[in-house]
Amino acid sequence: MAIKSVQAKQVKQLNFWEKLYLPEIARGLTLTFKQVFTPKFTREYPEERFIPAGSYRGRPVLVEEENGERCVACGLCSRVCPAIAIEVQAGETTREKERYPSKFEINMLRCIYCGYCEEVCPEEAIVMSKDYELVFTNVEDAIFGKDRLLMPVSQLQDRLEFLRQYRG
Amino acid sequence: MNIGSTATLERVTDLRQRKILSKVIDKDTTISLEGRDPLENTMILNMGPQHPATHGVLRVLLRLDGETVEKCIPELGYLHRGYEKLGENMTYHEFLPHTDRLDYLSPMSNNVAYAMAVEKVLGLEIPPRAAWIRTMICELARISSHLLAMGAMSMDCGAITMLLWTFRERERLYDIFEKICGARFTTSYTRIGGVANDFTPDIIPMIRKFIDQFPAQLRDFEGLVNRNRIFVERVSGIGYMSAEEAIQLGMTGPCLRGSGVAHDLRRDEPYLLYDQLDFDVITYADGDCFARYMVRGDEMKESVKIVRQLLDKIPDGPVLANEAKQVLPGKVEIYTKMEELIQDFMLVNFGQQTEPGEIYSCIESPKGELGFYITSDGSGQAWRMKIRSPSFCNLQALQPMCEGAMISDVVAIIGSIDPVMGEADK
Repeated sequence: MAIKSVQAKQVKQLNFWEKLYLPEIARGLTLTFKQVFTPKFTREYPEERFIPAGSYRGRPVLVEEENGERCVACGLCSRVCPAIAIEVQAGETTREKERYPSKFEINMLRCIYCGYCEEVCPEEAIVMSKDYELVFTNVEDAIFGKDRLLMPVSQLQDRLEFLRQYRG
Repeated sequence: MNIGSTATLERVTDLRQRKILSKVIDKDTTISLEGRDPLENTMILNMGPQHPATHGVLRVLLRLDGETVEKCIPELGYLHRGYEKLGENMTYHEFLPHTDRLDYLSPMSNNVAYAMAVEKVLGLEIPPRAAWIRTMICELARISSHLLAMGAMSMDCGAITMLLWTFRERERLYDIFEKICGARFTTSYTRIGGVANDFTPDIIPMIRKFIDQFPAQLRDFEGLVNRNRIFVERVSGIGYMSAEEAIQLGMTGPCLRGSGVAHDLRRDEPYLLYDQLDFDVITYADGDCFARYMVRGDEMKESVKIVRQLLDKIPDGPVLANEAKQVLPGKVEIYTKMEELIQDFMLVNFGQQTEPGEIYSCIESPKGELGFYITSDGSGQAWRMKIRSPSFCNLQALQPMCEGAMISDVVAIIGSIDPVMGEADK
């Protein structure tokens, strides 16, 4: 595309009516008064809840199936985490999947919800849930262990479907 | 400033404060008012870092003669988090979420700028659909950033309604961003070699709906203050910056175009799809606060024009380059194929292996020229990463603009420069 020559504009001077100021006040008040008739834009939050779509990146959780978690404790999420929030320790069992995380902790004070752990996970074991309400009253509460991270796979269908479809 | 080996933190802080103070009063002693009439002396006023109108944690030291500013020294660094250094200690992939936190009013364009710089290091080509998505999100981020600049500047000058109205429009944009990438604010949407995920089908109608109603809203915003005598007389004629001096100081973006210099990287060094799009570079010749305000308002209209053109030509195809050694493979492939699984582990652990060399890549972010200068030594991490942030360079103009102005004008001048301290302090 050819480069067009651009004329620098000049700010227009106020004309007689604008200098009088009163007509402009009336115009401004008309504009603000019109807002009375527009629908309300805000949400009454605790009563009216926000339901995120599948693409939403909420609190990261571990996917739980009937026979336990999917995670094989490869430690890739802990390696990629830009905020160094994840700690994994591997353990071994005699089940079909030989490795499992004996300790899996996410420090929710460090987590930045970037979704990298989910992106690199080779087992689809850690995904971002729709959970966005996080309250803790002390620092120890903010370190989520396996007990609070595991979430049944049935609650995560939206996100898993989104990942398979739009993350190729 | 000579700091000995026994220097404590207090001593460093003390020396620093004394240096700034001596700079603002132009001599090496502090003033004493003993036995003299305070009204005959100049006064040192400390604006910020908690001042609500300084857009974050900008501290400005002013020497006042009555209400006139004689000297103005901006002090930066209250939000310094060492991002340039962090970039040297992380793989290219890991650093991307940190770019969200540079210019936190338009994280999407930071993501794009960083990903483009790393792609230049790696010599990667991105697929057409990824380029299309990036152009689109850049323009939406521009609208969102300019809306805030417009609202915040009006609020600094007393028009509080504007901020509430512009925030409503920004909310609609954030809803779109949330659908696109899953986060409203810290988007982390681009990846090296493309973008993280494709658009879901409901996003295009959302953008179309926003773009259809937005020009009418913008007309309302402009009708509210643009011809209002109080606002116009408050901002016109103050903070003058001539074109020559603006170029000398290295200003870019709306601040430079407000001084009448038609410099826009989208037109001068086209990247992404900008060479196929039809838009104007907005310039105003006046060089004062009102001109910079008007540039932002008109640029939003150009952005609407660009988004409309983009919506007419949506290419199909993948959104991530198919380059096994440098781009993370798709999720389904990682689950099912051995090669991709190995690639996944290799890329995450060791990063993208590059050729040694150095590059500079820049885009026109809403604030101006956002550039990344990356020196690579062939490993997965940058050897040196310099971030050329537009807010930092534009803030250099604060000193010449403020001198001779009234104290209440300082607030309007800062508003018209529109600095984001996350980016200026890095």
